[in-house]
Amino acid sequence: MIDIKNLKVSVEDKDIIKGLNLKINKGEVHAIMGPNGSGKSTLSYALSGKEGYEAEGEINYNGENILELNTEERAQKGIFLAFQYPIEIPGVFTNNFLRTSLNAVRKAKGEKELNAVEFLNLVKEKSQKLKIDKEMLSRPLNVGFSGGEKKRNEILQMSLLEPNFIIMDETDSGLDIDALKIVSNGVNAMRSPERSFLIITHYQRLLNYIKPDFVHVFSDGKIVESGDWKLALELENDGYAKFVS
Amino acid sequence: MNDLEKLKNHFEGFKNLEFINSESVQSRIDAFERFCQKGVPSLKQEHWKYSPLSKDLIHFQNLKFSLNQNKSFNDTHFEKFDHYRVLLKDGVLISDDIKEEGLEITKYKQDQFYEIEKNQILDFNNAFFTPGFEIRVDSNVNIKKPIVIYNYFSKDFDGNNINNKNYIYLDKNSKAEIYEKNIFEDEKDLFFTKNLDIELEQDANLVKYYLNSTNNNKTIYNFIRSKLKQNSEFEKFNFSHNVSSCRDEIIADLNGTNAFVSLNNIQHLSQKCFHEIKWEINHNEENTRSSQFVKSALHDDSVAAFQGKIFVDSKAQKTDGYQLSRALLLSDRSKFLSKPELEIYADDVKCSHGSSSGSIDQESIFYLRSRGINEPQAKCMMIEGFLAEVINKVKNEDVRNIFYNKLNEINNT
Repeated sequence: MIDIKNLKVSVEDKDIIKGLNLKINKGEVHAIMGPNGSGKSTLSYALSGKEGYEAEGEINYNGENILELNTEERAQKGIFLAFQYPIEIPGVFTNNFLRTSLNAVRKAKGEKELNAVEFLNLVKEKSQKLKIDKEMLSRPLNVGFSGGEKKRNEILQMSLLEPNFIIMDETDSGLDIDALKIVSNGVNAMRSPERSFLIITHYQRLLNYIKPDFVHVFSDGKIVESGDWKLALELENDGYAKFVS
Repeated sequence: MNDLEKLKNHFEGFKNLEFINSESVQSRIDAFERFCQKGVPSLKQEHWKYSPLSKDLIHFQNLKFSLNQNKSFNDTHFEKFDHYRVLLKDGVLISDDIKEEGLEITKYKQDQFYEIEKNQILDFNNAFFTPGFEIRVDSNVNIKKPIVIYNYFSKDFDGNNINNKNYIYLDKNSKAEIYEKNIFEDEKDLFFTKNLDIELEQDANLVKYYLNSTNNNKTIYNFIRSKLKQNSEFEKFNFSHNVSSCRDEIIADLNGTNAFVSLNNIQHLSQKCFHEIKWEINHNEENTRSSQFVKSALHDDSVAAFQGKIFVDSKAQKTDGYQLSRALLLSDRSKFLSKPELEIYADDVKCSHGSSSGSIDQESIFYLRSRGINEPQAKCMMIEGFLAEVINKVKNEDVRNIFYNKLNEINNT
């Protein structure tokens, strides 16, 4: 699915990711944990092709090096970033945004674009599962949404676009226990042998709900330790100190 | 137009034309003399400092007046919704009079012309005008369908200057909705001035929409003077879309308690378009309210200017005045010039103003692109969302749809 080789990323001439190697097979869930400032968010932006993030090395996705592809091309190929802080866009209505996004991805895949009725039926079905109120979808995108509503909206987008590789950047931040359960259930419902996840988090808490196959410790732009989900428990008890030079 | 001798000869010929009412000749002569004394607007005059007219009128050295005898109109321009039609072709009213259920639409009949000291283009308009429309609504009448005014500029018109005067009167407790649009058939040079006087009696309610869209080589001056009595309301929505050169000026006098005026304008400009807004709201009585709201999306080399003034008389206590302008600069060559003015002589008032300009938010663009939406479309969505804040305030669904459809028609390079 995804095979990252010797990835180096710099922002404004500052080296942040310094030679990352990571292979995620189809159906696997990997978690990356690390202290503040270790470069976790930079990794998620670099994988999404954000401008201003100078990357070298290889990001092989289904056998293709996608380093030269721009953000929307990667999204159309099935890479999805769930934002830590989803952006508020006044004037752009959520429903309209969701339909534009879904049809852009469908069109790129060579699938038929959905008309308004087909779209509304689909979005109704998906949003009910995430306990998303219809009224929320008629509001401007993320404007005035609570922390929980913003994250649920991210999961809704994920379930509509049905991506193959999902990067979740600090999805648990700003969520109370109930919202965390709803979001985790939404993610777990999407786990499949064809889909891979990279979960970026500070805390082990989220991993109680979304159980990873592998856990990696990220420090100073590199993976310094890898293990199974028990590594997350170890980190929760001992902290990052022994991995930070 | 700065060659006054040439202009005087032009006026001599003009004032003897057959259609000019002999009673109005003297006031036209007086107005023309005032114009000559004040001279063509220039960048040195504060009132015209940010105006495209101060730059453009020099191109009109040879004014040519003309009356188009051809009264045909291409009906594909008609709006599809049910409405009253007012047709002006090359400045002349060509539609039939309307007289029904308390509504009367005729040719302009006023003969009182006022002067505004700093406004020599109004003097010019007073000297050279041809009569436009006059709309009167009787007391206690609610006009059920909108009135649509078509300003049609045809390709068979052989002059380069049109000036007209128009009047709207709403009697007590009456209500009307008016949508006005310009239709330009070609790209010939044209200097067009329009003066509209509006009087609202007690409890009257007027909503006016104006679409000024896509024109080249047109220099346009719109001047509206509105007078509002007690409890009357005037709402105005302008959509200035790719206008080559235009100043929209409005003076609103709130002369009765609880009168309310709301002025809204979208400026959506590309290439070398230049649009100026100049608004002056005079709170002359207690408990009057006003709102000014401008949103500008500026592509390429376009320039937008906004000067909004709130004046509060010493007796206009409890005034509530609001003003906000926001501009999106979509190229590093586009410009937004903003000059808010507050002149307040009463001590118990609430007045606020704000003005901002900036470029499109890159984080938002990244968010949209990360969902598979390509960059040009993401930008379009952002611009549309930005301007939609004004359009969403339009209550008439037909007009709102017209405005929405226009948003997508920007032809930037």
